[in-house]
Amino acid sequence: MAGSEGKGEIFTEPKDIVNQLAVIIRTAAIHDPGNIAVTTAIDKFITIINPLILSERELVLELGGEFFYLNEARIRYSLEYLPNFDFLVREFKKRVLGSIVFRDSLKSEDMQSFLRAFIASASSLESFEALAEKIAHVGSLGVGRLRKIRDEEKTEDSSDVRKMVKKSYFNAVSYTRGVVSKIKSGEKVNIKKAKRVVESMVDLILEEEQLLLGMTAIKDYDEYTYHHSVNVSILAVALAQRLGLSKRALTELGLVALFHDIGKIEIPIKVLNKPTSFTDDEWHMVQKHPFWGVRAILKMRGIDATVARAAIVAFEHHMYHDLSGYPKTKESFELDFYSKIISLADQYDGMTSARVYSRIPMPPDRALSIMMERAGTQLDPILFKFFINMIGVFPVGTLVMLDTRELGLVYQSDTVFLDRPKVLVIINSKGERGEGYIVDLTEKAPDEKFLRTIVKTMDPNKYRINLAEYLL
Amino acid sequence: MELLDDIKAAKEIIQALLKAKKTFRMYPETNPMYAKTIEDTNAKFRNFFDYRDELTFKIKQNEIFCDSEQIYSNPQKEDNIALFFFKDGLREITFKKGFSVKELEDFLKILTVDYDREVLDDDVVTLLWERDFQNVRYVVDEAFLTEEDDYESAAVREVKEKGSDSDELTRAYEDSFNEEAVKDAVIVPLTDKDLHIVVKEIEKDAHDKTGKLITIIFEMLYQAENKSEYEDVGHFLNSIVEFSITHGDLEAALHILRKTREVIDTQSIADDAKKNLNMVFSFLGFDATIKLLGELLDSGVEIDEKIWDEYVAFLDKNAIQPFITMLGELKSIPARKNVINALISLGRKDIQSLAKGLYDSRWYVVRNIIYILGKLGDKASVDYLLKTVNHSDIRVRKEGIKALGELGAPGVFPALRECFNDPEVQIRTAAARALGNIRSTTAKSIILQRMTDAAFVKTDFSEKKEFYEVLSKWKDNDVMEFLMKTLKKKSFFKRALNDESRACAAYCIGLIGNKDVLPLLNTVKESKNKLLREYVYSAIKRIEYGR
Repeated sequence: MAGSEGKGEIFTEPKDIVNQLAVIIRTAAIHDPGNIAVTTAIDKFITIINPLILSERELVLELGGEFFYLNEARIRYSLEYLPNFDFLVREFKKRVLGSIVFRDSLKSEDMQSFLRAFIASASSLESFEALAEKIAHVGSLGVGRLRKIRDEEKTEDSSDVRKMVKKSYFNAVSYTRGVVSKIKSGEKVNIKKAKRVVESMVDLILEEEQLLLGMTAIKDYDEYTYHHSVNVSILAVALAQRLGLSKRALTELGLVALFHDIGKIEIPIKVLNKPTSFTDDEWHMVQKHPFWGVRAILKMRGIDATVARAAIVAFEHHMYHDLSGYPKTKESFELDFYSKIISLADQYDGMTSARVYSRIPMPPDRALSIMMERAGTQLDPILFKFFINMIGVFPVGTLVMLDTRELGLVYQSDTVFLDRPKVLVIINSKGERGEGYIVDLTEKAPDEKFLRTIVKTMDPNKYRINLAEYLL
Repeated sequence: MELLDDIKAAKEIIQALLKAKKTFRMYPETNPMYAKTIEDTNAKFRNFFDYRDELTFKIKQNEIFCDSEQIYSNPQKEDNIALFFFKDGLREITFKKGFSVKELEDFLKILTVDYDREVLDDDVVTLLWERDFQNVRYVVDEAFLTEEDDYESAAVREVKEKGSDSDELTRAYEDSFNEEAVKDAVIVPLTDKDLHIVVKEIEKDAHDKTGKLITIIFEMLYQAENKSEYEDVGHFLNSIVEFSITHGDLEAALHILRKTREVIDTQSIADDAKKNLNMVFSFLGFDATIKLLGELLDSGVEIDEKIWDEYVAFLDKNAIQPFITMLGELKSIPARKNVINALISLGRKDIQSLAKGLYDSRWYVVRNIIYILGKLGDKASVDYLLKTVNHSDIRVRKEGIKALGELGAPGVFPALRECFNDPEVQIRTAAARALGNIRSTTAKSIILQRMTDAAFVKTDFSEKKEFYEVLSKWKDNDVMEFLMKTLKKKSFFKRALNDESRACAAYCIGLIGNKDVLPLLNTVKESKNKLLREYVYSAIKRIEYGR
């Protein structure tokens, strides 16, 4: 693969290929593929892609889940490419197109033929077949059908990945437990370990975002503090990944998020777990935890850039976008970027978990709708848009009734069709409880109508549904 | 059994890596050995890739294997490359054929990092991860990351224990038919403007966060409720000062100091708050803090003079002693100059502490302290400086005499007069110059007394000339009379020595520039003594033409 180093190599990144392909398709949707606007874009695309085809013999651009892969390597992209990436994912999915194979030396005429077929296939009932047929004669290009995730779920590989995700998640929870215990006993905290824990989460978010996000839906009441820290870290890193932050910044953010609530270790457990409302003194104590967080972090070790970041977030994570939260400050204040991200993640996980101040966990979709009302006041409205794009309209763990009279739990969000996640059906349309099966709500019938749609959402807590039983 | 060629090549790579680990620590990047190490190691990799496309090392605690063949073993802890990888959880590492020279260099750098340094939060795996090599893959065992054995199984078991109730599920299913239908979800798409705002925010976010942290610490001060919280604030501010100095950011340290001063001076805060804030200024003068400052000064980082002066102005007198210690340790001249300037400023607060530096064992430190005391111009320094004229090192004595001359207090005369008896000409002339600096009548008398001494005529010419030069600072009648008398003086004995004195007198008259003496000078200008003739001629020219 071409990299960005070494003499004589082409300084192209895979993300440029996806981006330029999106540009061509967008342009071809307005102009005829023979138009100079399109051919100029094609020429640029050829300049980028042909040296890569030459060195790799064949290039396969494949859509897997919500990500593109080039010869099986996941393509990372930065924020400015996000609209084009999303556009291309949509266009691929619309046509059930899973991959494009580029071989030999790509010519402008071949690309024009492909574009004509691609544009025309959008209105065809069997769009993929129509596309494949029309480009069958084009030697340097081939297409593959979008693979159904449902089949993949049951493969050994996918099960291994799930195991890995689970392992990383619980490693992080275990580490967090250890940190809290060490701070309480005045022992030294090992930051090297923390970094490794977060790096592992960052890798999984880059490769298996939805699976790791799914883990955050599992709430352990007894271990709330630790799960919450890890969940906030995951949600924050996943959100920041969409904002195009570097791997190093993602690690820092994840690390900082793990420690955002560390000040709470000063609050007696009996207060935190109190089933009734707080007294004024208790509420005062709760409101002091950002200060205590700063103190705990700064006492943990000497100051460096990450420690400064962690202390800032520990102080600000309840202040809110409009500074209406706590603590109130004497001097004018502007929230840190990390604090804005972590505040979103914190609110979402807090609301959807038990044992927070509200006592009653909310169903994820309800939490989201409340957060939507808060966007612009308590929450940063733009970051919230990213957040909802990330976890979907019906986040993992939402109990849903489908129009097929199947009852299930949202299992994995779809980042393109936000209201069409994958659902683990736990009661079938006959009202029978079975082993459970996963359905993809983006699937369509031959008449182009969706096979299933969410019609109702319910509170899994009301029916004491243990999400862990289904999601782990 | 003979090893296969590819295994031999793999073994050679391990040896090359071991060697590189050592040489990279010894030589800087600019050294030819550095480049040669990369070249040699790369050659070993290329040799292997002639046989195979991928090289995988399996790592055990004390051994490394390649294709089940043990290619490295070391039971010792020292220089054990297997253990080096193993301890951070690395269990397998694979290099692909495309492994470039740049990647190799970066890999070797990772190998060379001193991971035992407390401040470093990275281990080998973290650095490999951050570098994100295109042609290096590795397998890591993360078991050591967990704090408890098999936490995962126990946790999963526990959360799954509370299984969902079948009846409840059925109830949920039945209830769902009565639930309100979901409204169409309103999904607000991201716009280009949104993206632009986020990009700007990310750019802005790259700025240093120290200022923000300082603001937060002050908020903690405003809302502190007890002594311990005030103490914490003080400690944290100290830590940030320390961090700022370590990172060469004196401006950030100044931010804290200005703010601290402002809060103490202008806001009504508790006594405990004031006390702890004042501690910040004391902290600046602690040995460790000054040591950090010294490291910064010696690092060659350019420090803005204004920032340095402002920083020094916040220092308390407790900084004097550590600064004196530092003065003896600094290597660069600009750094020493900065510290000297700081001590000039601080010395005013406590001359006694500063004067303790006169007892330092290093002569150059003592000389610097004398210089500083001299610059302070405080008569209180005289008693301390008087002792330095007897210092064992002539350079110190000279500086002491000079400083005494700058101070010019009455108490300095006996010591300076005493210096005329010093066996070293440099000391005698220094004493003369010091007296010249004082310019008082007493000083003049002491000089003239020395010059009228019968033995003075025998003094070496250059010393004599120095004395006459000093005398030129007084342009009064006493001096003119003495000079004219000397110039006129004729002698049958020791004529050459007498002419030297006359030449010096002419030189001194020239420096004074008194035109009234021109006729006298003209009478001497044809002297047979060449030296006298030249000096008279120069004096005339200087008086007539001002040069």
